[in-house]
Amino acid sequence: MSPTTLTANATCLGCGCACDDIDVVVDGGRIVEVRNACTLGAAWFADGRVPARCLVDDQDAPLEDALTRAAERLFAARRVLVYLAPGLGCEAQRAGAAIADLLRGVLDSVTTDTALDLVLASQERGFAAATLGEIRNRADVVVFWAADVDRRYPRFTTRYAPIPVGMHLKAGRTSRTVIAVDVGRATAPADADRRIAIDPADEVATLIALQAIVAAPAGERQTFAQREDRAWAHARDLVTTLLGGKYVALVYDAEPDERVPRSSSRFEALIGLAQSLNAATRCAAVALRAGGNRSGADAMVTAQTGYPIAVDFARGAPRYRPYDGSASACLTRREVDAALILGDASSIPASVADAISSVRHVVIGPRASIAPTGRVAVAIDTGVPGIHSDGTALRTDDVPLPLRPSLSGPPSTASLVAHLAKALLSLARADRRATRDDTTRGRA
Amino acid sequence: MTQLRIVGGTVYDPANDIDGDVRDICIDAGRVVESLPSTAPRIDARGMIVMAGGVDIHSHVASGAVNVARRLLPEAHALDPAIAPALVDTDIIPRSGVGGTVPSTFTTGYRYAGLGYTTVFDAAVAPLMARLAHGQLDDTPIVDGGFFALLGNDDFLFAQIDAGERERAREYAAWLLGATGAYAIKVVNPGGVELWKRGSRERTELDTPIGSSRVTPRAILETLVDASVALDLPHATHIHCNNLGLPGNAVTTLATMRALDGRRAHFTHLQFHSYTAAPDGRWRSGAREVIEYVNTHPSITADVGQVMFGAAATLTADAPVEYLLHKSSGRKWANVDIELETGCGVVPHEYRERAAVAALQWAIGLELFLLSADPWRVVLSTDHPNGGSFMSYPRLIRLLMDHAYRDEQIRRVDPRLLAGSALMDGLDREYTYREIAIVTRAGPARLLGLRDKGHLSVGADGDVTVYAPGDDPARTFGSPRFVVKGGTVVVEEGELRRAPVGRRLHVHPPFDRAVTQQIRAHFDSYATVRFDNFAVGEPRDAPCPLATAASSTGAR
Repeated sequence: MSPTTLTANATCLGCGCACDDIDVVVDGGRIVEVRNACTLGAAWFADGRVPARCLVDDQDAPLEDALTRAAERLFAARRVLVYLAPGLGCEAQRAGAAIADLLRGVLDSVTTDTALDLVLASQERGFAAATLGEIRNRADVVVFWAADVDRRYPRFTTRYAPIPVGMHLKAGRTSRTVIAVDVGRATAPADADRRIAIDPADEVATLIALQAIVAAPAGERQTFAQREDRAWAHARDLVTTLLGGKYVALVYDAEPDERVPRSSSRFEALIGLAQSLNAATRCAAVALRAGGNRSGADAMVTAQTGYPIAVDFARGAPRYRPYDGSASACLTRREVDAALILGDASSIPASVADAISSVRHVVIGPRASIAPTGRVAVAIDTGVPGIHSDGTALRTDDVPLPLRPSLSGPPSTASLVAHLAKALLSLARADRRATRDDTTRGRA
Repeated sequence: MTQLRIVGGTVYDPANDIDGDVRDICIDAGRVVESLPSTAPRIDARGMIVMAGGVDIHSHVASGAVNVARRLLPEAHALDPAIAPALVDTDIIPRSGVGGTVPSTFTTGYRYAGLGYTTVFDAAVAPLMARLAHGQLDDTPIVDGGFFALLGNDDFLFAQIDAGERERAREYAAWLLGATGAYAIKVVNPGGVELWKRGSRERTELDTPIGSSRVTPRAILETLVDASVALDLPHATHIHCNNLGLPGNAVTTLATMRALDGRRAHFTHLQFHSYTAAPDGRWRSGAREVIEYVNTHPSITADVGQVMFGAAATLTADAPVEYLLHKSSGRKWANVDIELETGCGVVPHEYRERAAVAALQWAIGLELFLLSADPWRVVLSTDHPNGGSFMSYPRLIRLLMDHAYRDEQIRRVDPRLLAGSALMDGLDREYTYREIAIVTRAGPARLLGLRDKGHLSVGADGDVTVYAPGDDPARTFGSPRFVVKGGTVVVEEGELRRAPVGRRLHVHPPFDRAVTQQIRAHFDSYATVRFDNFAVGEPRDAPCPLATAASSTGAR
């Protein structure tokens, strides 16, 4: 029996908060205790046991063979989708992008199916944001805008705001005003100084009314008092507190929530409010993302290709196709005939998983051997980054954090993707040589 | 590593007083050597110009802020798709990407190399984001690269200054450089970014209190400039002064230079800090006063930060500037306040010949170049992508080398916009090849303390660029015939053929370990990242030598 070990300050990828203060206790080859973690974190670490199989056409195969078969299948395809699921370190995300580039395929990630509207709104308008520590240290007004942090980001309130003491908020919670904005059934946290309920139909109008009032010269703001509909009433209700803050944090959830209608105009309105408040005071918006290093995928793909999602390499250089080139769209239109799924396939949204099932595909990631996407040609189980392997992940605010393995397990996704990329490069070189030889013979 | 003899080129190696002499350059195992066997592979450089590889002292290519800009600019990327180069390397995937004002990582490396640059520094990385910067540098091939760590608005540093603990502040800086794998200390709008975070919209002057009367831009600058000297850092503290881009800021710039009188300090993108204000509040050139001060004060060094007409992306830790630019231009705006350290702002921009401020900025940059008495101390930059892309360097070089071309460009600008500019007095200076070699490689390398770069002495890095001379310097410098990086021929007959991994340039100065106790306590109180998770770990390459080691060897 192996001795008990403690890994201190491990980073949890259970949600986008990426708490990096988790102490993981391992005993007898499994995680027996996860200190400081919330319920999501405890579920994410679980006991750390993952399958370690390599399957080729549903049969167990040696790793080398599985990688070779994966490379051959992908190389033989007409066009390949590389999909970055949650559960990848930044290193594997970068290597995955290289494969999409080499194969002139399509590169997409879970972001397209979860936070596309926010991506597009941010590209249209920019954003006024901050890292979470600024919210902790400065935000004297914290607005949770339909952000159900208690359920979806459980440690947000204790790690970032409103509870912690901040450099400029020495009394912690009592030095802050917390506004909970419930939009329909999407409830903000229970602990709030003020609570406002907004009908989903009035949400965007309320945000735009707020922008209008904030943008007006101070002396003219009362002219809006005449406006009678509900959106203006909500806006008047909120604006004094917002303008009274020295540093306002506007916290919203970028992930899908069936209780709130999503649209890029909603995110543009949230962004616009945060930006416009900076004319009168300071404001930073915090867009919350779910777990598994989703922000990392956006950042890595952006750095390498110039675009965060839905990148098409067919013409030999990245082309941005957020409207018609998502993984789902390419699969549905049969633009691709093979796919490489990297990361934890069980976290792929159901609609995408269905679409992936329409093509023979390769899955490399944690629990690949039990992936819910049918028609798996090759499945290679890997360790979970942050539990079995090291690497880097980004918090929801793009702050990079190290991943600390606490348990030994299957090989890392990053190492296998790098290996696969090499195999594909060899095939591509050999193919080019063969083509060149053919051409030469043809000429002769 | 292969041997290589570059035969019969006209060599400009100003660090060795070689000014257009015809000679061979021999490289073995990545370094310049005295001679090689006659069987060594050759590049025929007869009739061509040979210089050391270019060194960019101030660019923005790998940071959280750069990636914010990349994310914000899909429309600029769509205009400039970059297909993968046809590399002969067999073990590297050639990567496609995008160009535009803020190119993707691989394309950045390829394009720098394609201009004959072999060393690039990112001038502004928030320590918290250092891991991101290293990851991006890992994906920026060919060039040796590093970054400067932002320290001018750091809360822990402010607390030490407030407590009169300047020695501890210095030890903190030493720890931070090692922990983040940075190369130098960078100061951006000292104290001014903190004031922006606190809601101030006022200008920040040298003695403006930053939350405490003891913490002022002056105190911050003195502390950090002294720290670089005391720590023997190869590069001086790299200073972006207060009040960037504001009319009348030459007063601030000169006051800052006077405050640091006699201390080694580098003033970056001087153009953006050389504006006076007419009585009616309009912008005027302050270039003459600023450059005259630089000319007569040998401890001061600078890069110009030339503005080039066309598209740019402004991205800076000086977040309040970006807010003002967003308000005045109406262009989209991204801001990220970075906890305990700094800020970040991005606004796309266009410098137009017909726009009063842009025309003046363009002229002021040229004035600084043309009135500079010592090219070793006033080197070339566009503050890529702020004043323009690094891809515009060849055009900038033409503006410096070709008086007639420059006059032609000046005529395209409304002369009323240039009132008071020395450019209107008919500055007829033309930079020579030697001077271009100084401002693009020998000078920056010397200012950075890179003893093995910027020159072609025996023992120097085998980074060499071979240009085909012609009537148009923009063409000459825009497409070198050969570029050699560490002995590897990366550009052959004008085509990018190899993309080796570049080296990471960083320092690891020693520090008093006791300081980490206070830093840890600060992290425990206010940070959201654990102290033990902050340091990036040892970069792949060994740290660069400190100044004391560097000064004993290397080129004159």
